[in-house]
Amino acid sequence: MAKEKGQTKLNFLKGIANENPLFVSILGTCPALATTKSVEAAIGMGLLFTIVLVCSNILVSLLRKLIPEEIRTPAYIVIIATFVTIVKMFTNAFLPELYSTLGVFISLIVVNCIVLGRAEAYASKNKVFDSFIDALGMGVGYTLALILMAFFRELLGTGAFSFGKIFTFIPYFKLQIIPVGYEISLFQNPAGAFIVFALILAVIQFIKNRKAELKAYNERQEKIRKAQEAKLAAQNKEGGN
Amino acid sequence: MDKKHYIITSITLGLIGAASAGLIGAANLLTRKQIAQNELDKINSGIIEIFGKNASIESENSLSGYKYTNYSYYIKDSGDDIDRYAFKTTGSNSYGKISLLVGFTMKDSGVEFVGLSIIVNEQTYASTLVDNYINPLNSGDVSIDDVNCGATYGAKLVRNMINDAQIAANDIAEG
Repeated sequence: MAKEKGQTKLNFLKGIANENPLFVSILGTCPALATTKSVEAAIGMGLLFTIVLVCSNILVSLLRKLIPEEIRTPAYIVIIATFVTIVKMFTNAFLPELYSTLGVFISLIVVNCIVLGRAEAYASKNKVFDSFIDALGMGVGYTLALILMAFFRELLGTGAFSFGKIFTFIPYFKLQIIPVGYEISLFQNPAGAFIVFALILAVIQFIKNRKAELKAYNERQEKIRKAQEAKLAAQNKEGGN
Repeated sequence: MDKKHYIITSITLGLIGAASAGLIGAANLLTRKQIAQNELDKINSGIIEIFGKNASIESENSLSGYKYTNYSYYIKDSGDDIDRYAFKTTGSNSYGKISLLVGFTMKDSGVEFVGLSIIVNEQTYASTLVDNYINPLNSGDVSIDDVNCGATYGAKLVRNMINDAQIAANDIAEG
């Protein structure tokens, strides 16, 4: 039971850290660059993406034994497109500001390789609950990655964080952090998105490299220690004789 | 593959398609009223943006014979002899749909442009339309033909839509 719980936790967490779809697998970069002008838009995009991913993963997993091999991909595309259309309709009806902010990128979730990738690589081979956890982890991981990008882009590009423009059910407020006139509007443009994305990837790679170097160093030290111990033991043995 | 397998495959795909159609149909039933209401709210706020806070729609007419302009709205009489109209003009290309509200007054001297408001913008190519064109146009800094929205592809469509609304306005003015 405890082992199963641990496995579920790992299944969920892998999407957030070790297999993060945006920062590790470098998937879904197009909407990530386009919808991260503000933290609010990033949260909205992440939320819609997670809903589509979770729903399609559950349905694909439920139907995995019924869908013949030859029509797997078209069937998955139909399932994903259905959920995207439904999500689009509900967003247009109940969150019109989010709908107009994200525009064509809601429809483009259909062709997002993360959604089709998880359906093909995971949901089609695993049980419903595991597929749900996998989708949730990937969705949360992608949302957090979008929020991280949007955090830097909004902060540097506008000098402030504003909420309530897209999610109109919360009262509007603006938190000015960088004095007006000192913001760098480049970060609100596509070029700024690429710069932020590249810098985040560079930092992640730097941390990974440091970890690998540290691991290799520790392994080398361990080997040396063991060799010295063996040498010492051999000397002691000789001295004893 | 044998005949039976073909039939099973076809039926499975057909059933998935039918179930998807059912789900989309149900979602449409649940959301269409709200979507229509949202669009109406946007038109009303667009009319206020163009003609001022006391403006409201007196009558609505659907138009035919124009490529982009499909509705005209007669704005309530504000005590003067000037007729005020707003035209809803909608266009689309492979990048999505744009819907604009174009306001005109009809005086003895002719049709005069008042303002422009955006209702729907699904086009990624027209992301700068409001900042680069609509706001400067409404404050009189650019002319109506200087459409700038980040890409020629989108700008051409918007220019054609506005020209179409002008033609519709002239037709109404000429009776």
